[in-house]
Amino acid sequence: MGLVLPEFDVKHPRGLDFKHVNSPTPQKYLIETMGGGVALFDYNNDGLLDIFLVNSGQLANPMRTPETFDRNEPRNWNRLYRQNADGNFTDVTKDAGLANAGDSNYGMGVAVGDYDNDGFPDLYVTNYGKNILYHNNGDGTFTDVTARAGVAAGGWSCSAGFFDYDNDGHLDLFVTRYMEWDTQHSKICGNEWHTYCPPATFPATTSILYRNRGDGTFEDVSQHSGIASSKGRALGVSFADYDDDGLTDIFVSNDGMRQFLFHNNGNGTFTERGLEAGAALTADGKPLSGMGTVFQDYDNDGRPDILVTVLPREVYALFHNEGDGSFSYRSLEAGLGTLTAASSGWGVGLEDFDNDGWKDLFVAQSHVLDNVEQIDAMLHYKETPLFALNHQGRFERADSGVATPLAGRGAAFGDLNNDGWMDAVVTSLGGEPLVLMNHGGTENWLTISLRGTHSNRDGLGARVKVNGQVRFATTAGSYISASDKRLHFGLGDAKLSTVEIRWPSGVNQVLENVKANQFLEVREPEKR
Amino acid sequence: MMGAVMLGWIALQASTSPALQHLRTGLDAEKSGQPDAAIVEFQKAGELDPKLAAAFVDLGAVLIEKRDYAAAIPPLKHALELDPNLEATHRLIGYALLAQGYATEAIPHLEKAHEDDVLGIALYEAGRLQEASNVLQKAVARNPNDPELLYYYGRVSGLLSKQVFDELEARFPDSARAHEMMAQDYAALRDVPAAEHEFLEGLRLRPQTAGLHLELGELYARAQDWNKAEEQFRLETELQPGSAEAYYRLGEALLQLGKFGEARVALVHSDQLKQDMPETLYMLGKAAASDGDSALAQKCWTHVLKLENDTPLAAQAHFGLAAIYRKQGKTADADREMEQFRKLQRNAGQEDQSPK
Repeated sequence: MGLVLPEFDVKHPRGLDFKHVNSPTPQKYLIETMGGGVALFDYNNDGLLDIFLVNSGQLANPMRTPETFDRNEPRNWNRLYRQNADGNFTDVTKDAGLANAGDSNYGMGVAVGDYDNDGFPDLYVTNYGKNILYHNNGDGTFTDVTARAGVAAGGWSCSAGFFDYDNDGHLDLFVTRYMEWDTQHSKICGNEWHTYCPPATFPATTSILYRNRGDGTFEDVSQHSGIASSKGRALGVSFADYDDDGLTDIFVSNDGMRQFLFHNNGNGTFTERGLEAGAALTADGKPLSGMGTVFQDYDNDGRPDILVTVLPREVYALFHNEGDGSFSYRSLEAGLGTLTAASSGWGVGLEDFDNDGWKDLFVAQSHVLDNVEQIDAMLHYKETPLFALNHQGRFERADSGVATPLAGRGAAFGDLNNDGWMDAVVTSLGGEPLVLMNHGGTENWLTISLRGTHSNRDGLGARVKVNGQVRFATTAGSYISASDKRLHFGLGDAKLSTVEIRWPSGVNQVLENVKANQFLEVREPEKR
Repeated sequence: MMGAVMLGWIALQASTSPALQHLRTGLDAEKSGQPDAAIVEFQKAGELDPKLAAAFVDLGAVLIEKRDYAAAIPPLKHALELDPNLEATHRLIGYALLAQGYATEAIPHLEKAHEDDVLGIALYEAGRLQEASNVLQKAVARNPNDPELLYYYGRVSGLLSKQVFDELEARFPDSARAHEMMAQDYAALRDVPAAEHEFLEGLRLRPQTAGLHLELGELYARAQDWNKAEEQFRLETELQPGSAEAYYRLGEALLQLGKFGEARVALVHSDQLKQDMPETLYMLGKAAASDGDSALAQKCWTHVLKLENDTPLAAQAHFGLAAIYRKQGKTADADREMEQFRKLQRNAGQEDQSPK
């Protein structure tokens, strides 16, 4: 098993001509260094993953009110690239109706989910400003339905994700917000060298939970649900059922403070249990500069663990699910002390890149300060991504194939060329995205698409177990990015597998003797 | 200055000459807070009787009070020409000269005035560091709570140290210690490659130099290169098997590398070499907890709390104990430790703003 190490071809595929615009200024506006979301999703259901890239916008030096970011200018548009059969891409932004991202919106990230269960994935774009929900019309176009849906949020939103917290079959929406900040109340920090200010310089704020009413509109239930009772500096969000009660819980990575674990009480409310559960602070009781997060089972014990990417000298935090409702800090045990202590992480994924049956780690990396080398010669602004193979719960560095350091931010994961091997797309702040195509190898695999009937149509929130490995169906996690909804499993040398699914509706389904190396769609059975 | 003033008063008791009358008027004006009027009267007294030293001394004193040091120096010099033994006048002119930057000229006057505090500063300003150090050491012993004296004593000590190091580098540029010092300079600038190069050069020249492996290991640790740090700390423990610090650092590196069993061994050894060190005990507890030995972790962290109860390390020990008790199902104990943790966080101003 795992004899052939995965190799990536770092590509700029033909047609993918995106360049992120963040417009850094001497004002050191914090938004400058935080954007660059990416989504991998099949918007036209042709079986090929397409790429949506979030642009940020033009900043003035200094900004004046009312704030505008020149988003009507084509170079500042978000972009949708349709993948063609030959692996190249075509920019379909304008035809898809996604060109105008709102002149008062500085772009951050993206979430993907089929909120109306019509079989076509919809887009939710987060901004500093107002967020936008684009309904996928199913004909290659999208419609901005934000006002009707009531999900504009406001303030400074970062990561967002669709999930079904009340298991009613309609995807709800969680939106992280970073802090109370605007360009008129910005500050410059540092002494000899001006820097972006640390997060504690600005007041914390609340994240937002929108409940899907099922009629194309959402209700802001942040207060009622208890989400709004915890003010944070939220950058990342991931979902999984950590205590196996059949309800999806929420992990929020906060910057420069404790992390939040919102336990789903099953009655429409959540209780923030991060501290009690041991998933809020390091083993030393210290806060984390939480940025990206992923909520998946890294050690194949069947329980979702939490990984949080942070700044250098902190070590990416790995909270191991103990199975009793608590977590233990296992970063050092997993080898992350040596792999990550000098790095800054953003977008993150736990995916089985070598199909050996263990989820590997991929992180988009770069320091938050663009002049960090001048302040601390031991640190670097641009870094290559971290790619680490999982050897039975311990990570060991491998070659990502990226030779030139970049200012990595967003990262999304999926099988772009449908060869059974997971690929990655990494965004670069103020730069071009990288597409990392996995060369593949000889190990076996299985990729599952869920077709919910009682549950939400894509089965987000389902617990899927294949030959002992567990994945929670989600498009969320990472940092301001959305990944392929399909669930990928490496099978090693196994030719057959047993697939066990617990659907969000509570229905359990078992498929025996499933052949390896196929894309399998599983339809949720009728309730008995 | 009051000494000079008293001289004037004594002289006034026995005389009623016009010069002395102006001197008396000047002293009255000074006493009543009219320095400009006093200056005029002292000047008139000096003009009427150029040999009246008190007039020149008092004039200089008032000018110093007005911080007009340049103007104060000539009358004070004249007073000393008339009477070289006026100790108070030496003190005044010493102050005035030093304030004007004439440290070398100020020194003999301050020596005659036996003004060690200011003399030490003058010697420092004149670059006579060793003498300054001797004088300031005595002055600090007499006035241990004077921040000015402590500052200058620290400055002088630092410069003396640098002088010695500069000499070492100049005379023995290829010695192990010279490379070590250059490495320290680069390390302070966080220039890891240059610092590493110099440390390694020092080690090449004198492989048995105590402390070099430790310093190089610390450089690697700050750069988060824990594999290399472990190697260097281990070499230091071989060179200095009695160094609790070296074993502590080795334990820290091993812990970071996830080698918990080995970390425990190193930290236990460090604890045996130097007992009751809170940092060592905390780290040992952490290694034990990571290694699955919650009993030892509990013992270590409880010990930490006997040594410290309101420090950041104490807060960390409470946090660790809370996790252990929670795992053991001792909810009340866990809650108590968590409350202590939160209390110390609050006291340190580190608690976040989230309502809980």
